[in-house]
Order: sequence, then structure tokens, then C-alpha cells
Amino acid sequence: MSEPLIRRQLELSANVVQFCRYLRSKDYRIGPEEEADALQSLAYIPIGEQETFRLALKSLLARSRMQQEQFDEHFDRYWKELEKAVDAKTEEKPQGWSNRAPNKKSKQESFQALKSWLYGEGKENEEEGAIASYSAQEVITKKDFSAMTDEEMRLVMRMLQQIARSISRKKSRLNKASKLTRRLDLKRTMQFNLRRGGSIHKFLFSQKKDKKLRLVLLCDVSKSMDLYSRFLIHFIYAFQNANDRIDTFVFSTALHKVSEFLKEYKFERAFEIISDRIPHWSGGTKIGQCLTTFIDQHAHGLLDRKTIVLILSDGWDTGEPEVLEAAMRHLQKAAGRVIWLNPLAGSPGYQAEATGMKTALPYLDVFAAAHNVESLRKIAPELRKGRKRKPTQIR
Amino acid sequence: MSKELSDIEAMLETQGYIADRSIAMSIFLAMQLGKPLLVEGPAGVGKTEIAKVMANALNTNLIRLQCYEGLDATHALYEWNYQHQLLYLKMEEGQQRESAELQKSIFSDTFLLKRPILQAITQETSPVLLIDEVDRADEEFESFLLEVLSDWQVTIPEIGTIKAKHKPHVIITGNRVRELSEALRRRCLYLWVSYPTFEKELAIVKNKVPDIDPTLGIQICQFMQELRQLKLEKAPGVAETLDWATALASLHFTHLDKAVVEDTLGVVLKDWQDMRHVQDSLSELFEKVGVTKRF
Repeated sequence: MSEPLIRRQLELSANVVQFCRYLRSKDYRIGPEEEADALQSLAYIPIGEQETFRLALKSLLARSRMQQEQFDEHFDRYWKELEKAVDAKTEEKPQGWSNRAPNKKSKQESFQALKSWLYGEGKENEEEGAIASYSAQEVITKKDFSAMTDEEMRLVMRMLQQIARSISRKKSRLNKASKLTRRLDLKRTMQFNLRRGGSIHKFLFSQKKDKKLRLVLLCDVSKSMDLYSRFLIHFIYAFQNANDRIDTFVFSTALHKVSEFLKEYKFERAFEIISDRIPHWSGGTKIGQCLTTFIDQHAHGLLDRKTIVLILSDGWDTGEPEVLEAAMRHLQKAAGRVIWLNPLAGSPGYQAEATGMKTALPYLDVFAAAHNVESLRKIAPELRKGRKRKPTQIR
Repeated sequence: MSKELSDIEAMLETQGYIADRSIAMSIFLAMQLGKPLLVEGPAGVGKTEIAKVMANALNTNLIRLQCYEGLDATHALYEWNYQHQLLYLKMEEGQQRESAELQKSIFSDTFLLKRPILQAITQETSPVLLIDEVDRADEEFESFLLEVLSDWQVTIPEIGTIKAKHKPHVIITGNRVRELSEALRRRCLYLWVSYPTFEKELAIVKNKVPDIDPTLGIQICQFMQELRQLKLEKAPGVAETLDWATALASLHFTHLDKAVVEDTLGVVLKDWQDMRHVQDSLSELFEKVGVTKRF
């Protein structure tokens, strides 16, 4: 331990390797292969030109849009620190590289900080986090979403993603052998008959396998759902990113399609934009009218027998019940399944008293509570089924 | 700047592709290191064009594999020509040939349908292999692709292993329909192409629509830049700019005015809601671009 872990590197190649390690601490996935590429590329580019050098490393080491956008900052920071180190003529790690290693800490502590910088802060913490979350999961299972901390919310998010993924991976679109439909499958016919000597004894047929499930998510973001809005946001986001055959809408007094933003932007940014564009976030609710808008403008091409419509709402409707009823009737007919998740339904003694909820209830395939993790777990298998069946209520 | 790098820029430019430094650098390094180049970005910014231009400039074949949901190995690698095999079997029926011999003649090159990837590795010179919209294919296909991209060989059980004579230059494009796997990213160099700056877009317009009125060109590009700020569902890309510029130039307009824009907005916007949204904020847009209503 007498040797310093990081020293001023005099060779450019050593610096490149050290820079790679620095990036690794910033969550860039850079292995020996990338380092080798970076070093190899030094042979092709004029290293005297900083701009060219930066561009080259950028295209080699940044592997996603986000990383590309952040790269310049990391690059500048690294070389600036390095220059400082040169000026100070120290061979040790310059200050400021790790904010966890202030000047006068004991050797042991700064070594610890150095180590975490060098080997990537993320890894260790991640492991710890995983263990902690394992036990935490049990505790928060029964906690109401409205009373959760950010940390717990993140856990819920992970669970949601698991559920969402398990739904989206249900079915495939490859051919499968079939006796029902008459579509000649030459490949299987050949394989079958060749095994029996080469002359054609039998034709085999195939049909397309069932298509992947499609999900339509309709989320109530009105005032009465405010308590659960954080949960809703996570719910939408988790589903959106696990399944590419999902279309997400939010509604309060008007309906808005938000899938595009969710795909394009990172979590926080996406919701900034969405709440920017939607003036009615946390306003009143017109469920019926919004569902009608959905049916008129979007349902065409979105709804079929393999589509699950998932409505997240407390059922407090300020519109006409007739409108809602007509919309629900249409949805039930056009979609494979209509599922309503109501966060309020989790409280003991809940009765579907809200007019909207009462109106909608007869047209639902599944009506379930969604107020804590446990309730979510219960509905996951329901979501996976994808086909019509007897109406279910899960509390 | 190094000579090779400026060569690449010049090469792209002679093909009519206006590239900035980062694009040229990525292509350059991908070629030097023999790695696939993964290009992502919004629709219509010229991702696919990179491959086409490269093939032209290198004077080699462009082999394109368009990805779609359900794409599998039989469409990407090879398939046996079953119809011909069947016919052949029928013809051979009277001859009483040994089964093993028959199998051998059936599974020969004559009955092999080469799909893009197999085509690409059996070329005499390195072709450009464009794997377009890889994120539309399933995740299973992605892992299959990884195997091919790392070994450059294809194993056909009936024939054996075919090794690439020349490694193709691979361009992979994605529209971010879904997140690509970390493994695929790590095999490739990454390039994010975003909407061009005003200057770049103007250069592209001038290059592709040479007979456009200069004022009109500037106005169109300004308008498009503003349009992309509007957070539309489907923001228009460079392809739309070019369509619009070509359309207006062929109608001999010399500048934008409100009526023209209203009539031709369909060239630029392909979404009904966007259309409505833009129509609502049209006057505001005009103010920014500096187009005044003419009486």
C-alpha cells in the first residue's frame, strides 16, 4: 500500500488507459477490449489535435446517447485535473477527482475513497443495495404506495418492470406446426419426408403463432389520484419500457398520448415534458369523455382481440355516466381484456361507490386493487393471461 | 487533421453527404478497427444514407438486411430452396439412387438461397452490410447477430462452416423502438446522429435541391428548426425538409408565405394531431421565422 494507486502518467497511452478507468467509475462499460481499441486508434489519428483526439475517444468509448452527451464533460474534467497534477508536480492523485477524499482525512479513508474511485463506486454499492433491498422488499410489500419514500419507490419500480417484462414476453410470432390451417410448410415437409427416404409421402402445414400481446395503458392523472401519482408515473414508465407494443395515454379532463415521450427521454425529463404539455395534470376527471376520445381517435388499429386495456383510475367521474357506459361497452367488445386497477379498492370495506366505478364495473374482466406491492403481485398472473375469461375481482 | 480523416470527409461530400466531424470520425475508426458501427437517432436524419454513401464511395456492394418483428435466421442467413428440392426429388424418383447420395445432391450450393448475411460474407470484396432498424427485430435475433458479428462465419449443418473471405463493413441502424442489449453495443462503435443544425441543414438542402431559391431555402430550414422545438409526436426529419424543399422549388416559389405553408404542411407532418398543433401555433412560428402574411 506504500505505492500510490494513481500517478501522473507520462505516456499518452497510459493516460488513455487511466481515462478509461475514470470513465468506468462513471458507469461506462469499458473493458480491456475497449481499452485496446482506444490504444489502437492512437495509431490512426493525429494526437496533437485535441478535438480529433476527443472525437475519436468519444466514438470509441461512449455507447449510448446519454453517454455521448456526457462524454465531453468527463473528458474535459479528466484532462483538466491532469493538467493540475502536472502543474503541482505531484505524482499522487489530484484533489477533486473524488469528492469523498478531502485533503486531511486519514490515510485509510483516502485509500478507501481511492479504491472506490478506481474500481468503480457503483459496483460495491450496487451489491450492498441488492442485499438491503432483498429484506426491504418484504417490509414494503404491504405499505401503501401513497406513504412510500423514494428509495422504496425505486424498489417498486423494479418489481413493476419484472411484471411488465413477464407480460410482454408471453408469446412469439414464429411458425408452429398445425393441422388446422392449410398453409403448406415446405421446410417441415422436406425434413419430414427426407427422413423417410426422399419421396413425398406427406405434406405438412403450419400456421402463424399468436402475436405478442399488445397493451393499452390509460392512466387517470386527475386531482383525486394525486396521492398515487408517483406510483402511476412509475407504473407507466415501467410498462412502457418493458414492452414495445404498448401505447400509453394519460387523462383527466382530456386525453393525451404520451408513449413517444416515454420512449425518447429518460424518466424525469419525460415527465417534465408531459406535465408541461398537459395542462390538466391533477385537474378534474372526465373518464367517460376521455375514453370516448380514445375510441374515436386512437382505438382504430390499436384495439383487437389480443389487446389488453389497462385502466388506472379511482373511478371518480364528473362526466355523464351514460357516456362512460357506452365507452366501456365498446372497449369490452373491441379489446381482448379490460382491466381496471383502482388504488382505493385496497382499503378494507371498499365499495364501488363512485358513480364512475359503479358504471364501469359490469364491463370489466378484472377489477383489482393497486395500492401496494402485494396487490400488484396478485394481479400479475391475471395480466399474463391475455384472453377473455370470467370476470375477476382481486382485492 | 489527419489525411485519412479528411479523405473520409471528402469522400462523403463527393457523394453528396454533408457530414460533421463526429460522423466522419466514427466511420473512419469503424473502418480502421474493423468494427460494426451502430448508428442511432430520430427518424429521417440520414442514418441509412451513411451506408449507401459508404458503399458508393468504396465502390462496393451494399447488402441490406431490413429488420422486422419476427425476422429469423432463414431470412437473414440462408434457406434451402424447398420447391426446387421437391422438383428435383420428383425427377430423380425413378433412378433408384442411394438416400445418402440423394441428400448430398439436394443440399448443395444449387439449392441454397443466400440471404443477406451469407451473401455479405461470401463476396469477393468487402461489401457494406447494412442492418437496418435492428431494434425492430426480436431480442433473439439480436443475440444471433452477435454470434455472426464476432466470428464472421456461418455454419450450415448440411454443408459445413462458411468463413468470410473478406469482413464486410457493417452499419447497424436503430430508431430506439426498444433499448438494444449491452452486448450488442459493446461489439460496435456508437454514433448518435441528431437533427442537423441550421447551417448543416441548409447545406444539405442546397446540395440536394440545387435549383432552390436561396431565400426559400433559408426560410424552410429556419421553419423546420422551429418546428422541431414544438415537441411533436413525430418530429420531421431531414428527409421531410428535402421533400418540402423539392416540392416548393418545383412549384417555383421564392419564399414561404402563410398560404403556401398551410397548403403543403402535409409534406412535413405525418401525424394528424401534430398537424392540428402546428396549425394552432402557425402565426407564432411565422413570427419566429420572420415570414409575414402577404395581402
